[in-house]
Amino acid sequence: MTLEQMMDLPGALAAFSYTDKGDITGHQIREGTEITPQILDLLAHSCVANIAVATLEARGWESLTGQKGFEPLQGFSMVGLEWSVVVSDHCGVILKNRDVNYEASFNAVQTCSA
Amino acid sequence: MHIVKQLMAIPGVIAAGEFAYRGDRFSFEGALTAEYARMASILCRSNTMSVNMQSEIFDSFAANCGCKPMQGWIVRGAQASVCNVGNYFAFIENRPDLLNDVMTIMRAKVGDVGDDLLVNLYAKIGGDVKEALY
Repeated sequence: MTLEQMMDLPGALAAFSYTDKGDITGHQIREGTEITPQILDLLAHSCVANIAVATLEARGWESLTGQKGFEPLQGFSMVGLEWSVVVSDHCGVILKNRDVNYEASFNAVQTCSA
Repeated sequence: MHIVKQLMAIPGVIAAGEFAYRGDRFSFEGALTAEYARMASILCRSNTMSVNMQSEIFDSFAANCGCKPMQGWIVRGAQASVCNVGNYFAFIENRPDLLNDVMTIMRAKVGDVGDDLLVNLYAKIGGDVKEALY
């Protein structure tokens, strides 16, 4: 799925791709939103950090409790007041909370080819 | 009905709970031991504080950008996910539509998290102890 296709998700405000270090490699922002390229850059870096921390927690949890099912991690989402960002390893999408479909969004970012 | 009980009534919800302040005050239902629930509460509290800090940074570059205050987060695993809204968490299986249903219920029942997260979390265990936080 491309960034353009991710912008077709219900409530999509922006879509972006990023490197392992969190540097933006491509982005789309819907006109009229408060999202800026600078916000996307910060978000991408936080996404890399959050996925790394979540992987640590999932691995530790599975080892300690014996409960399986978290690894390999599929993605992470931060839920803000008005919008949520859903990310996987290299792609993310920002969606209005009132329209967001988390499952469809996680599926979209996992198949992102940007 | 209490949020945790309502969540546990949904097929596919493994466990759900509530935590406060330091993460070591908690209640829960479902397939966790008390020790695992304590660990989950600390983990959820820590992640909540972290994404809240991140939203403060985003907001400092674009005030009223729509991210602050952070309401929660989701970790999507291969077969299971963890959802957190405010001071409530739920461990769920990755069944079709379950994640959306759980998030809808949690957002509706918990309500919007206020600006001051620590005070919000601390208030859950009662008392006017704001001065003890700073």
